[in-house]
Amino acid sequence: MPVVIDMEKCGKIKDCPGEVLCIKVCEQGALIEEDGELVLVPENCDDCDICIQSCPNQAISKKS
Amino acid sequence: MAVVENTVERKGSQKRSLNYKKEKCVGCGICTDICPTEALKLGPLVPIARGLIDMDYVKVDKEKCVLCGLCAAACPFEAMEFKIDDESIKYNEAYPKWEHKANIDEETCIYCKACETACPTDAITVSRKLPERTKLVSGEIDIDKDTCIYCGICEEMCPAEAITMKKENPEEPEITVDEDKCVYCLICKRSCPVKATKAACRSCSYGVYEINPEDAKITGNSFIDEETCINCGWCQEICPVDAVTVTKPFEGEIIFKEEFECKGESCHACVDICPCNAISIVEGKSVVDERFCILCGACAKACPQKGIIIKREKINLENVRSKSWQKQMDKLVETASK
Repeated sequence: MPVVIDMEKCGKIKDCPGEVLCIKVCEQGALIEEDGELVLVPENCDDCDICIQSCPNQAISKKS
Repeated sequence: MAVVENTVERKGSQKRSLNYKKEKCVGCGICTDICPTEALKLGPLVPIARGLIDMDYVKVDKEKCVLCGLCAAACPFEAMEFKIDDESIKYNEAYPKWEHKANIDEETCIYCKACETACPTDAITVSRKLPERTKLVSGEIDIDKDTCIYCGICEEMCPAEAITMKKENPEEPEITVDEDKCVYCLICKRSCPVKATKAACRSCSYGVYEINPEDAKITGNSFIDEETCINCGWCQEICPVDAVTVTKPFEGEIIFKEEFECKGESCHACVDICPCNAISIVEGKSVVDERFCILCGACAKACPQKGIIIKREKINLENVRSKSWQKQMDKLVETASK
């Protein structure tokens, strides 16, 4: 199951303290920028969870 | 309290300082695991390992650090330097000592440089002096300028690049043989269409006994820099003459959780963080080559799914005199085996 982004915690990309590490670490292209916001492309997510630990806002998680 | 970057320093009856050495840290998290005051925190390992962000793997909380020095003693990479009255505890006999080491036996080493090439931290330098060619092969070579048609076949064929032909002036072409380069293989003689080359190899005619064995020796030096060596074992494994012995910091094994579904190429966090080049992705799954693993645990910390378990059975750290310190050090062995 793909990851879940908490948009409230995530905020605008320009405000990201990690300079969008999530997009940078995801080599599957499952996380992209669209109109200044982070967008998930669920079909690309391979469930590796690497983005989860890279988010300084802890905005990415797995629905359990 | 003086604060400089990732350095903590205080003066009381003793002057104590802790200095984080970024260049030595591999992000294994041993220090964060054993710090009694939780003053050390790991940063985002994978982005740091991939160079996506310029950060230290470990952050020292200056308010929480009590300058006990435990982290410095437990770090197998000497990435934490703890000093008492300006002297590193590395040289203080009251503090623990790592038994890990790597050594090249100069008597056995053939200076092939295989270890130098394999070392993941570029800690090995091998310098070697090869025998002089002129002392190993000798002979006679001469090209008869009157017979030579300057076709250039010998120049092209010569494996030692000893023959040079100059045809700038077509009226007076020149051909020369560099006898320092010539190995008397006689290819020029065999390839010459007009038999202008006269050559003989002395070794072939009289046998190899003319060579002074001392002249044929390869000499050199091999050196492992303790500062950068992480005792991973690559040099030991790759050495063709078993000249290297490596004692690793920990003994034990590394295993993958049964329910763990490794994402392989999608993630490869473990491959990126491993300081030993011990991990590769094989058929879509992470595979650890235990010959090169030092059980530092960086991969287990970096794995986003926490699917790797480091089972340390022994820590090669001696002279832990304090009981409370021993208890903390044992955590590295015990917690890991849970």
